Amino acid sequence: MDRNLSIFKGIAQRSYRPALERLRRALDDFPDFRFSLSVTGTFVEQARMAAPDVIDRLRDLYRTGRVAFLGETYYHSLAFLLPPPELSEEVAMHREMLAKEFGAHAKALRMTELAYSDHLARFAEAERFRGMLAEGWEGVLHGEPPTYPYCAAPAPTVALLLRHYPLSDDVGFRFSSTGWSEYPLTADKYARWLAATPGEVIGLFMDFETLGEHHQARTGILEFLSALPGEVRRHPHLGWATVEEAMEIPPRAPLSVPYTMSWADQNRDLGAWLGNDLQRSAFEAAKKVGVLARQTGDLAILTDWRRLLTSDHFYYMYVSGHGADQGVHEYFSSYESPYDAYANYMNALTDLRRRALDRLGVPILK
Amino acid sequence: MDSAPSRRSLSTAPGARAAPTPFGGAPRPLHILLVGWEFPPNHTGGLGVHCFELCQELTRLGHRVTFLSPFGGPFTPVPGVTFRHPGEKSGGATPEFPPAYWAGGTPDSPFADSVDGFNTWVSGLKTTDPFDVIHVHDWFGTAGATALARRLHIPLIMTVHSTEYDRSLGHPWDHILHREELGIEAATRVIAVSRHLRQQLIDRYHAEPSKVRVVYNAVRPSDRLERIDPEKRIVLYVGRLAVMKGVDTFLRAAARVVPSFSDVQFVIAGEGPEYERLIQLAARLGIGDRVMFLGKVSEEEREILLAGSSVFVLPSVVEPFGIAALEAMAAGVPTIVSKTSGVAEMSRGTVFKVDFWDVEEFASRISELLEYPTLRATMGDQGRWAALREGWPERARETVQVYLEAMRGAGVRP
Repeated sequence: MDRNLSIFKGIAQRSYRPALERLRRALDDFPDFRFSLSVTGTFVEQARMAAPDVIDRLRDLYRTGRVAFLGETYYHSLAFLLPPPELSEEVAMHREMLAKEFGAHAKALRMTELAYSDHLARFAEAERFRGMLAEGWEGVLHGEPPTYPYCAAPAPTVALLLRHYPLSDDVGFRFSSTGWSEYPLTADKYARWLAATPGEVIGLFMDFETLGEHHQARTGILEFLSALPGEVRRHPHLGWATVEEAMEIPPRAPLSVPYTMSWADQNRDLGAWLGNDLQRSAFEAAKKVGVLARQTGDLAILTDWRRLLTSDHFYYMYVSGHGADQGVHEYFSSYESPYDAYANYMNALTDLRRRALDRLGVPILK
Repeated sequence: MDSAPSRRSLSTAPGARAAPTPFGGAPRPLHILLVGWEFPPNHTGGLGVHCFELCQELTRLGHRVTFLSPFGGPFTPVPGVTFRHPGEKSGGATPEFPPAYWAGGTPDSPFADSVDGFNTWVSGLKTTDPFDVIHVHDWFGTAGATALARRLHIPLIMTVHSTEYDRSLGHPWDHILHREELGIEAATRVIAVSRHLRQQLIDRYHAEPSKVRVVYNAVRPSDRLERIDPEKRIVLYVGRLAVMKGVDTFLRAAARVVPSFSDVQFVIAGEGPEYERLIQLAARLGIGDRVMFLGKVSEEEREILLAGSSVFVLPSVVEPFGIAALEAMAAGVPTIVSKTSGVAEMSRGTVFKVDFWDVEEFASRISELLEYPTLRATMGDQGRWAALREGWPERARETVQVYLEAMRGAGVRP
């Protein structure tokens, strides 16, 4: 727990505070600037303990009326792969948190790691969301550009806003990479790229930590952020919109995604979390413990179990050694190896299982 | 909870190997004089294996090798390699292999005499062969090799497999230390079998950093036995029973593991000066029935053991390399090593690394591997890949590169 807080404090100092500050000023300086934020319950819990002023800054942004929050699961979890009612409960928890903390109501839904499928579109429809976010991946676009508004084929009232991954990753991944042919990326160059992109809407989604953490302040990322709204204004056909505003543009075509797509790695599937035996075995084991945790009706046990479904736990168990994505995984992992991650996870899960069985009064054989 | 197939297919996909260059990158065949010590079939440690594999691969690359040993053999024959020893003329006057070469012995022991005799013979070696380089392994022959290199005006290369500081746990014999320092000082290039060891040569022996290279050990993929999953799960240690190997830790960790696993057997294969003390320790810990001491095992027995083991542990206090762990990885056995071992450097994250003193952590790691079959299977597979992705051919080519550097450094045209 102490470690969580010290990590959070560090990131708050390097990223959350300075970036939120600059976003606030950009909203003051540019009346047409607008954007959406995605904030989990886990984030708010940790911010409350480590850096409560970050929540105040978010409230302040929301009060401008030009910032919207996205709906998602309360935990950064893989709940979308679990049998009902887990997903709708976690989404409801998040909805409650937004109302309580910010007085906000989310109209657009995004899943952990931008997971999306036809199945999830039906879920969004049932939960009365206006639309969902998804990756603008060629594999599902069949030659169509990612810059048009779409709707979900199985649920046409659900609008789809697609992430433009080349332009998003220019900032998210490549901004500080000196080996990149476009280095350094300036706000005016980036605005020209945006202006030259055909279509109706460009989905730029990235980790908030892009601003000051993945790219540290010395790379100039924060100045880039401050300068961008002004540079965009030079191109009269460009404007800003929150996700839910962009979803009001009439859809051009329905889109079908029969499997679960994500924004991670080269394959844009769930391979980053459930691609190998370690990950699948850990997830299957977690599912079984979930049945017990629910039976206990003990909120502390259920909460710990939900924390164990956080996608990052499975991400740390990624094994490749050969592929291009290994470097990305190692950057984000706090473990020395995927085997450490797995062993540690399974130990925690075994403890939780024991607690659940205890609570249920089942004698433990072992 | 989760399940893994009990029998796993064992095909090993060999990594893409570079196209073989003639002479391993040298412009012509070299004649290499190896000044060694032990050699298969009579060897007790990594040094003997390293020399044997090096002989094989160097001759395969088209080079000639003459191997000098203080002992009269037998030597496992290698085509293209000539074996010579001090008793070659008189016949039979050479000493037997010492039972334990690491026990350097006092300066006045018979063992010391045979070292001195060997060095004298090497320094005055009668030869008409045009050797290109002299390559000495560890301290035994450094004095003779240094003198001979000066006499023949050819560069000296020294490979350090372990140091006297480590073998003696910080209480080195001066006469051995002196021979190590002499070789490291005199050699044009020094090869260390791990980065960890290289740093030690720089820090403790004041080796000039620019002349120390790292060439790891390797293992040879053999027709491995199919892995079996016996009813009783085996946690294995293979190696000498010397203080520096930390076998105490293995036993103390075992004592913490056995109460939770009724079906696990700890197995210790190897011999050495610590044997009796370790047996007493096992008895005192109350795990006499859960630990099996096998003594020295043959290569074939070792392979069978590895094929049936669930976990391999190398808890060494000091381990310049740790070839036994690499062999376990190559056999697909999930492996736990101490952080200070050289093999940890090249395992690419496929082994668990633990502080050598951390009994608790060794016990946790062993328990986790016994508990989770998926972890065993994945770590085993990935470990095999890491162990076999490069082999002795790569190591021989790296060694040839060091020879060429040394020849250029000594002003000799390759």
